[in-house]
Amino acid sequence: MKRSLILLIGALALGAAIFAGSYFVAQRTTEMCCASPTDDLSWLRTEFHLGDAEMARIRELHEGYLPQCMEMCAKIAAKKGELKSALGSGTNLTAEVQTKLAELAGLRAQCQAQMLQHFATVSQAMPPEQGRRYLAEMQKLTLGTHEQMEESMSGDTGHEHHP
Amino acid sequence: MKKENSNPADEKLGALLRASRTSPALPPRFQENVWRRIEDAEAPVKSGEVITWLDALVALLLRPRFAYATVAALMLGGILLGAHSGAQTARHDAEARYVASVAPNSLR
Repeated sequence: MKRSLILLIGALALGAAIFAGSYFVAQRTTEMCCASPTDDLSWLRTEFHLGDAEMARIRELHEGYLPQCMEMCAKIAAKKGELKSALGSGTNLTAEVQTKLAELAGLRAQCQAQMLQHFATVSQAMPPEQGRRYLAEMQKLTLGTHEQMEESMSGDTGHEHHP
Repeated sequence: MKKENSNPADEKLGALLRASRTSPALPPRFQENVWRRIEDAEAPVKSGEVITWLDALVALLLRPRFAYATVAALMLGGILLGAHSGAQTARHDAEARYVASVAPNSLR
C-alpha cells in the first residue's frame, strides 16, 4: 500500500510538472511571438482586422493627433503646477484655488473632447461594424473609470452621501 | 532405478541411526503458532478495498500505453492553455499600449 501511494504521488507530481512546464513554455513563446513592442497600433490591426490601406490612414490620423494630445497634456501639467502653488500650505479654499480648479477641469474636458473626436475620426476610417466596435471599446476604456467611480458614489450601489 | 535394500544388517543399522538422531525440541506453543499463521494468511486483509483500488490505479498508471497517453494529453493541454493565455496577455498588453498612446493617464 505504501509503495502504491508513493508511486501515485510521484505520478501526480510528474504529471503536474509536465503540465505546468508545457503551459509556461507555450505561454512565454506565444507572448514573445505575438508582441510587437515597437508599434502602438498593432492592436488595432489584429483586433479590428484592418487592411494595409486602413492602417495607413489610421496611422496618419494617429500621428496627427499625438502632437495635439501632448500639447494638451503639457497645458494640464502646467495648470496642475499652478493649482499646487495656489494651494500652498494654507487650509482655506481661496478664490484663486477655485479658479485654478475650474481651469484645470476645463482643460481636462477639452482634452477629453479632443480625444473622443479622434476616436470618432479613427472609427470612420474602419469598416462600419468594426468602427462601431472600436468606438464603443475606446469609450469604455477611457471613460469607464469615471463611470465606475461615479456609480460607486451614487445611491445605486448602496453608497449614499449624508448631509 | 531405486534398489531395494534387503540386507537385515543394514536395516538394523538404519534403525539404530534413526534412534540415535536427536530431534531438537520444538519451541513452546509451536503448533498453535503454526495454525495462527495459516489462519492469518487465509483471512481477508484488513482495509482490502483501499489497497485494491490504489493498487489497481497505480497498475493502470504504470501501464506504458496509458502513461504515454497521459503525458501526451497533459503536454497538449498545457500547450493549448498556455498558448491561449499567452495570446490573451499579448493582446491586453497591445491594447494597453495603444490606449496609453492616445489617452493620457490624467483623463482615465
